[in-house]
Order: sequence, then C-alpha cells, then structure tokens
Amino acid sequence: MFRLNPQTLKKLRRFRHIKRGYYSFLLLAGLMVLLAFGELLVNSRALLVSYQGELYFPTYTAFHPGTDFGLNYDYEVNYRELKEQFDQDGSGNWLIMPLVPYNAFENHAPDGVFTPLAPNATQQHYLGTDTTSRDILARLFYGTRIALIFSIGFMLSVYLIGIAIGCSMGYFGGIFDLLFQRLIEIWSNVPFLYMVIIIFSVIPAAFSVPTRIGILLIVMVLFSWTGMTYYMRTETYKEKARDYVAAARVIGASNSRIIFRHILPNILSTLVTFMPFTIVGAISAITALDFLGFGLPPPTPSLGELLKQGTANLRTAPWIVTSAFGTLVALLTLVTFIGEAVRESFDPKTYSIYR
Amino acid sequence: MTPLLQVDDLCMHFPVKEGLFLRSHKANRAVDGVSLHINPGETLGLVGESGCGKSTLGRCLVRLYEPSAGTIRFAGQDITHLKPRALRPLRQNIQMIFQDPMESLNARHTVGEILEEPMIIQGLGGSSVERKQRVRELLNIVGLPARSVSRYPFEFSGGQRQRIGIARAIALNPQLIVCDEPVSALDVSIQSQILNLLVDLQREFNLAYLFIAHDLAVVKHVSDRVAIMYLGRIVETADSETLYRNASHPYTKSLISAIPVPDPHRDHQRQILTGDVPSPIAPPSGCHFHPRCPVAEPRCSERYPATRIVGEGHESACHLSPEN
Repeated sequence: MFRLNPQTLKKLRRFRHIKRGYYSFLLLAGLMVLLAFGELLVNSRALLVSYQGELYFPTYTAFHPGTDFGLNYDYEVNYRELKEQFDQDGSGNWLIMPLVPYNAFENHAPDGVFTPLAPNATQQHYLGTDTTSRDILARLFYGTRIALIFSIGFMLSVYLIGIAIGCSMGYFGGIFDLLFQRLIEIWSNVPFLYMVIIIFSVIPAAFSVPTRIGILLIVMVLFSWTGMTYYMRTETYKEKARDYVAAARVIGASNSRIIFRHILPNILSTLVTFMPFTIVGAISAITALDFLGFGLPPPTPSLGELLKQGTANLRTAPWIVTSAFGTLVALLTLVTFIGEAVRESFDPKTYSIYR
Repeated sequence: MTPLLQVDDLCMHFPVKEGLFLRSHKANRAVDGVSLHINPGETLGLVGESGCGKSTLGRCLVRLYEPSAGTIRFAGQDITHLKPRALRPLRQNIQMIFQDPMESLNARHTVGEILEEPMIIQGLGGSSVERKQRVRELLNIVGLPARSVSRYPFEFSGGQRQRIGIARAIALNPQLIVCDEPVSALDVSIQSQILNLLVDLQREFNLAYLFIAHDLAVVKHVSDRVAIMYLGRIVETADSETLYRNASHPYTKSLISAIPVPDPHRDHQRQILTGDVPSPIAPPSGCHFHPRCPVAEPRCSERYPATRIVGEGHESACHLSPEN
C-alpha cells in the first residue's frame, strides 16, 4: 500500500501554507495541463469537422488531404479557408477551429509578403506575427512547452548521473572518491559554450530536428552533472556515518540495500528543494543558447529565438520582444516562487528528524 | 565451558592521515590489545570514560570495523577478518543495541518495516504473513502496542524508540547482544524500565550481553562481571560484587568513589581524578594511567604493567596490585 510518510505530509502541508508558492504551483500545473493538450487550443487543424453528415476529429489523426472535403488539392487541408467556404456555401457542413487557429510553423501572409504583423483580433493573431509571418502566440505556446519538457528532461538526467556518481563517491570513498573528485575538477573547467559551438559546427545538417535537440540535451547534461555530485557526495558521507546505517550493517544488509533503502531515501527528500532551481537554470540556459543561435535548431519554436528576432526588430515590431520577454519573466518567476516555497517547507536544517 | 565470545589482543588502530598525500604516520589506538571473554547467558559490563575506546571495541565485535590485529572468536569460529558475504549468516547471532534510538532507526521506514528487515535480509521468518506475525510478537515482547507497526520512529517517545531498537536486535534470536550505552540517552525514570526489559529478555532467551556504559551504577544493576577500560586497554576485570567491594586498580577505585551515594550524612571520601584522558594518538609512556594516578611510582612511567590475577576471576593491570 502506498502511504506517505507523516513527515512528508507535514512538509506538503507547510508548502500549502506558503500561499505565493502554492498558487504559483497551481498556476504552473494548470499551464502544464494546457500545454499537454496544446494541440486542442493552438493549432491550424480544426477540432471538429462535420462534412456531409460525417464527423471528423483531425487534431490527433493523420492529415486529411484537401480531396477528403471536396477540395481540389491533395496536400493538407487549410481548415481556416475551409471554414470560410463552409460558412459561405450554406451546405450544412461546419467546423470548429481551436482558439488560436495557427500552428507554430506556418507562415501566414495573406498578401504574400512576410512581414511582422501587429497584434490584431480579427485575423486571430492575438500577439501578432514574427518576421516570417508566424503566429507569435503559437510559437510562444509551443516554445514554452518545448522549454519545459527540455528542462525537465535535463533535470532528470542531471540528477540521475549526479546522484549515481556523487553517491558512490561518498559511499565508497577512498581512492575512488579522490580520483573522481580530480576528474570532476578537470571536467568542470572545460568551457561549456565553446564546446557547444564546436559540437554544433561539426554535426551534419542532415540530422533531424529531434536528433539535434537530443544532442543538445546530452551536451548540456554532460557539462552540468558535476554540480550535483558535490552535494550528493557530502550528504552521503554524512548519512553513512549515522547509526541507522550501522544498524543496517549489523543485521547484514548489503551495500546496495544500504544505499537504496536507507541512504538515498534520506537524502532525496532534501534534494527535492533543488529541482525548481535546476529547472529555472535550464530554461535560462536554453533560452540564452537559442538567443546566440546555438540552441534548439530552427524551425523549432523557442523563446530565445523570438527574443533574438524581437531585439533585431525592436523599432519596427516591438510586440515580438514584449511578448517573448513577458512569457520568459512570468515562467521563471513562477518556478522561482515554487522553488522558494519548496525550500522553505522542506528545509532540512529547520526540520531535521535526526540530531 | 567454552566462552561464547573470546577476544584476544584485539587492536583497532585508525590511521591518522596527514599532509599532501594523506600518508599515515600516526595511528589513533582506540582499542589497543584487549582480551576478554563472554560466556553464554552472561552480562559483561564494560565501563570507561568517554573516548576510552569502549564503543569502538563494541563495534569491532559486531564487525562494523575490521580490527587491525588480534582475534575475535564467536562460538569457536574466528570472525576477525571474515568478508561481508561470509559474515552475513553469522550476523544473526551477534546483534547490537545503539545509544541513540532516533539516530539508529531509519526515519523513512515504519516500525513494521524496521523489524521485518532483519528477517528479510537473513531469509528467516518464512512468508510475508509469518514475518508480519513475528513482528507483532516482537512488539508484544518489548511491550509496545501492535498498532505501532504502521507508525514511524519519530512518533514515539525516547523509551519506546529504544524498545523498537531492542525488538530489532532480538528479531533474529541472537546469542550475544552488544549494548552500546543503551540507556544513557534516556531519562532516568525510563532507564530502569529499559534495564529491566533487558534483564527479563536475558532470562527468557538466554542472551549474553556486552553492556557498554560510563555509569557504574547502571552497570552494577545488570552485570555479572565488569571490565574497566582506560585509553584502549582493559585495566581491571572482576565479577561485579568483587569489583564494587574490593577494587584493586586505582582507576577503578576512583570511579567507584565517584558513584553518588544518596545519603547526605554519610562521610564519603571522594577520589577526584585531575586532568583529562590523554590522547589515544600519543598515549603516555608506561602505564597509561600514571599521569593521573594518585599512587603512581617511578616504575609506572617506564613499563606497562602486566595483567595479574588478583583473585578468582579478578584481574588487574597495575604494578601495585597484590598478586595472588
């Protein structure tokens, strides 16, 4: 049976009492739900099409060629045009578009010229378009989603490696510890930005976008796991010396049992306090890299790329930088507020079980 | 009768690492040539000031440390240098009770999980249902309610926590339990309850105890024999009656004179020791006790005294002890 430790429950209760962090958490959780079902909110595909008495749900299915709905082309249906057509011909066919009827990749320039368009509600570009006539709201929305997924993936990998190596350093100590400490010192002196630039200049352009994002993630993780080991190493040293570990040894527990059943559970609860700040760091890092042009490969929607466009067109299209900057600030503030509340409610110094 | 535990010339020297390359030039001689034995069903009290190595000795006996010299024989088998894998099946015979029950119980586990763990590790106790049954039985033995199973250590009082620690120690039906100051972290009113529980358990399960303490009054209550330790060595061993009435070593005498007597009118000659326990890294020459000894002679700073038999089962390591 899964039951939370009363200590953990107490921590969660304390967290709920820190209103700022708690509401930030609810907001971010709500945002993440919206992002998870983003295709239903921000998409160029219709939610629901009723054509000749049959219902279609094109959002998550394979694409419908125009011929499916009586159009004279066999590439993907342009649902916005289809909607206008249905509205005009009065044939009883109808369709519902999402709130924002654009996706992050399409260049929507009715007059054929790619130019940033100021926010306007009639065309449903609520935050305007960027320099290549892509809807900014759609790009922000999916950019945020990718940034969050990326930073959560980053956090999980960093923690996995950092915990595994840091914990073994602390637990086994001796030569192993000494050797890894020196290796980590050398490794953490390799300049990260140069490495990213070098690596991205040698990756063949033929690699697909997901592969390139994966490579970026790996490179970032490779240069970030060391920070975690310092903390894990000392914490493991500290916990290892406690009597409950000695007690486990006396009853014959193996090393792996001691690490996984005794030491790790006692450290991990304090580790939770770092997670929001790691995510903040990852979002800032990926945005900065995008801004410099070494981050997520185009045409992936990203906050950093929008910031770059926005600063380049600060006079002519100020709405680009405002919305990108606003989103970034809001996102980072939310996560930081959560992090502060978590740190306050989980503080191992104030609320330690052991002496 | 073969003793249950036979310890000969046990040494535990911790290297003191210094300098750029962490080479060790010196050693902390926490335990320095200790010999003792414990018979089945018997309690050996081990008394000494803090820092004299008594806890280290206890931890060597349960093989939390690997001794640097000497031998530990349990029921005739040499366990001094056994590897963890070979040691595991023997672990069930030698258990340990720790000083601070809050530190020694993992706060992330329920009492049920804590008591079940030894059985899981040792592969004893049969099926999961039988193990749960045994856990309830153990709680009953140490006088805790059965509903404690699903609660966490920090939800109990100090005395109750120590009962959990005791239940864990007897879970595997051991023959010897090393009690490392099991009551010194508890309130005086609780101490006697825990001591009585230990005595009852000893009678019921024929346990042998190595009872480590710094409080002679506590030790007197539970021990058959008492060993006095000073700076890594045992200076005097005797059965507890003899030791309290007829101590031979000056260190023991001063310890006994320091026991508070609950009688304000009694004229009580105290022998107050001056100074601190010397460092076990650089112990004094000759008899380690001579700088603080009230009756020291020149020869005391030259040679460490050999252990002499003073009476039956009474040994003392002092130049001035009368040899029998």
